[in-house]
Amino acid sequence: MAAELFFQDINVGDEIPVLVKKPVNKVQLVRYAGASGDFNPLHTDPEAGKAAGIGQIAHGMLIMGFVAEAVTNWVPKTYLRKFTVRFAGMTRPDDVITVTGRVTEKKQDSGSNIVKGELLAKNQKDETVIAGSFEAALPDKK
Amino acid sequence: MADKSMVNREFPPFTWEVERGKIRELVQAIGDKNPIYLKREEAVKAGYKDTPASPTFITVPMMWTNILIDVIKAVKINYAKVLHGEESYEYIQEIYPGDVLTGKIKVVSIDEKSGKSGSMDLIRLETLYTNQRNEQVLKASTLLVERK
Repeated sequence: MAAELFFQDINVGDEIPVLVKKPVNKVQLVRYAGASGDFNPLHTDPEAGKAAGIGQIAHGMLIMGFVAEAVTNWVPKTYLRKFTVRFAGMTRPDDVITVTGRVTEKKQDSGSNIVKGELLAKNQKDETVIAGSFEAALPDKK
Repeated sequence: MADKSMVNREFPPFTWEVERGKIRELVQAIGDKNPIYLKREEAVKAGYKDTPASPTFITVPMMWTNILIDVIKAVKINYAKVLHGEESYEYIQEIYPGDVLTGKIKVVSIDEKSGKSGSMDLIRLETLYTNQRNEQVLKASTLLVERK
């Protein structure tokens, strides 16, 4: 869980703690389908994946959830203002996803302490599956 | 080709009541062990009113209400050929168990793009969510890609 974090403690170039997820597995994809309500069979049925010509792939939103987990392990969730991802590649069962990120900008804007950063989720072959960004508003050190 | 006459079309509002169990179910599927989503007392200790919805929770009302499928049908694109290109959130207020969300979804743009792997349609949607007090809580932007 994210510890308290102050604007003054952050510097451009700071890296957020790396998150290495357990391999994506088929049961997880079924659980994610049920939890999210995305029942596209492409994600849970290998035959449907084959028929679509791309094979069974994970929900992109599951991987976005991994990236969110990495960000909010670092900055308390309530400070998060914006979170954007581009789905750059597909994730398959047994893939191991690693999330990294770093601070790219720090500024004070109409009374808010804004920190911006970039985020990457890559698989075990070092292929990018998500490229994203975040913006958070942090408190001042008391 | 997606139906370009649908650009600027707003769909009828959809509603969704947020349940504590659904918040927990989603983070457990993700494997996010942050206790603020799981235990009310941990959330309160961290300064929340209750267990908050996690950053990607808003996909739950989008998918469980079937609104996304309705929009895909309305813009006349082939669900089997649709990939998720981008997703973007602006967080305005926390979402808590018991909140009743109303979402208003709009087709912002439909563009055709040709690349190495053939041509595709890019469909940009925006959804504004308000709570039972009619306060804005979240804005979402979704890019769907229809492969040809």
